[in-house]
Amino acid sequence: MIERLKRPGVADRGGAVTVIVLSCVFALFFILPFAGLIERALEDGGAWETWKTAQARDALWLSLWTSTLTVALAIGLGTPVAYALARTHFRGRTVIDALIDLPIVLPPTVAGVALLTAFGRKGVLGEPIESWTGLTFSFTTTAVIMAQLLVAAPFYVRAARGGFDAVDPQYERVAYTLGASRVRTFFRIVVPQAAPSLLSGIVLCWARAMGELGATLIFAGNFRGETQTMPLAILQAFEGGPGLSGAIALSLMLLAVALGALVLFRLVARGKVAL
Amino acid sequence: MTLEIEAALQLGGFSYEAAFEARDEIVVLFGHSGAGKSVTLQAIAGLLKPQTGRIVIDGRVMFDSAAGVNLPPQVRPTGYVVQDLALFPHMSVAENVGFGAPRSGHRKVRVAELLGLLQLDGFEGRRPRSLSGGQQQRVALARALARDTRLLLLDEPFSALDESLRAGLRRELLRLRAELGLTIVFVTHDLREAHLLADRLAVFDAGRLLQFEAREAVFRRPANRRVAELTGVANLFQGRVDRIDAGGLVCEVGGSALRCTPGSGLRCLPGDTVDIGIRAERVVLRRGVGPGEETNVFEARIVEEFAYGSTHTLRLVPTGRGPALEVELAARPYDVLGVAGRKTWLVELPAEDLQAMPVSAAAALP
Repeated sequence: MIERLKRPGVADRGGAVTVIVLSCVFALFFILPFAGLIERALEDGGAWETWKTAQARDALWLSLWTSTLTVALAIGLGTPVAYALARTHFRGRTVIDALIDLPIVLPPTVAGVALLTAFGRKGVLGEPIESWTGLTFSFTTTAVIMAQLLVAAPFYVRAARGGFDAVDPQYERVAYTLGASRVRTFFRIVVPQAAPSLLSGIVLCWARAMGELGATLIFAGNFRGETQTMPLAILQAFEGGPGLSGAIALSLMLLAVALGALVLFRLVARGKVAL
Repeated sequence: MTLEIEAALQLGGFSYEAAFEARDEIVVLFGHSGAGKSVTLQAIAGLLKPQTGRIVIDGRVMFDSAAGVNLPPQVRPTGYVVQDLALFPHMSVAENVGFGAPRSGHRKVRVAELLGLLQLDGFEGRRPRSLSGGQQQRVALARALARDTRLLLLDEPFSALDESLRAGLRRELLRLRAELGLTIVFVTHDLREAHLLADRLAVFDAGRLLQFEAREAVFRRPANRRVAELTGVANLFQGRVDRIDAGGLVCEVGGSALRCTPGSGLRCLPGDTVDIGIRAERVVLRRGVGPGEETNVFEARIVEEFAYGSTHTLRLVPTGRGPALEVELAARPYDVLGVAGRKTWLVELPAEDLQAMPVSAAAALP
């Protein structure tokens, strides 16, 4: 009996060592690139100058407000869809499910091209809309938001749907018998229980929108002050004048702001910081 | 409060039909799972729409298929406690109870009052998950009562609890009912619970309401064999009607003539086959030998015994004519009679407890 118990113990120790070694390798793989960024920035020294330029500030500001608006739109438009998908069973639901997941799987460049064919000046919808109203979408700030929404909203919808799925409909039925309207039931009973999923969906959606490059580049272009978000500015710096050092400085700037925003959001969500 | 319900619906392969009422009393819906008891509660609460029928609470029409009326659950004056309670996990006890209370300045007072009534003082701030099963049960009751309803719908509320806790909560429910003047529709599959709580009993089977009468009537005079089986009538056998007279029926069972009481739904003629039943605890054992000339008395031998502590169950086979029987004796009469030391007994089947029923449910229809 004792012999038998010992053997898995030895095997466990081996297992633990394997887990620790692999974890360290994985962690290094993640940490090293960022450490490299910081190291190069310190070496080059010009980072502060880059941060102070109007172009950097414009790009950062554009990134921040467009991605935040994208999240707001994703919540407004995506929440009813996620709830409907979680609570109803109809033919073709799997198809809609797959359609919503599609932008997650596709390269963003494909999303950009698709947006152009739909809402571009020669697009299926873009052309009639322009001839009736004179409005164009492509290569405007609106296009930046549309590109981000198409690519990032599925992350929110998917998480929200999972959250709603996990709330037993019995709670809603009981709330109805207690006199609560559907709206009150949704906000008082369903949303609080699905909150962790909704919050993680919001974070994923915002992060994806902040990092959006491919679809924006194709559908919105790279115009400073108008459509040039941080990722596009970094790409331009990398390919153009300032070279690698400019790209590094901008990358660090984006990294710091994004990290700060995510930490702040989690603290607010947990109720530790009041805005 | 009064409740009248008459409803029918078809759900896939399940067909449901029932009609009964409740007036300032506890009506127990009794039957196996899937018999249609929960469907009934959901229809009353407005969570499930029958295809046809009418539901009236205190004179107000809640549902009427003919008139096209179907009030939503939000406005129906019912307090519904579901089997798994569904206490809102993200809310405190006080928030749970207050959720359904009318929005006014008195809400806090009302919640405190209900918590006091259900002996939950001091638990206001606790989360439901940190409470014991019995406490959660009381929170669910308090929440249902917070709507100022006098009609409670309880779906197997005590089924998840230990027997010891259940006994206490059943007594508490009876106290609440007396204190608040509640009308309660109570679903259970527990025969003892049904007997303890019911003023009137509705026996359900496979989507049909088989019998709806006062508790004693259902237990003593089951409408048919299925009701007898469901309500635990241990002795059921078939007999042939010999003659019908002022004193009831005389039926021939296994070669002996037995005087029986006809059930309310029974229509029969001499020569017809009927089901006959008697509860195990209604059979009388007597010392003596030979059947003699008394009716409904014959000699039988004990072939098996089961001791349950407070009661003994005996299986007897007749030495001459008559049916085989199961007899239940309380521990004290068992000792006093000296059943342990004697195998052969005279068995008496009192005519008023020997119930003749139509052979099938169809025969009970007028």
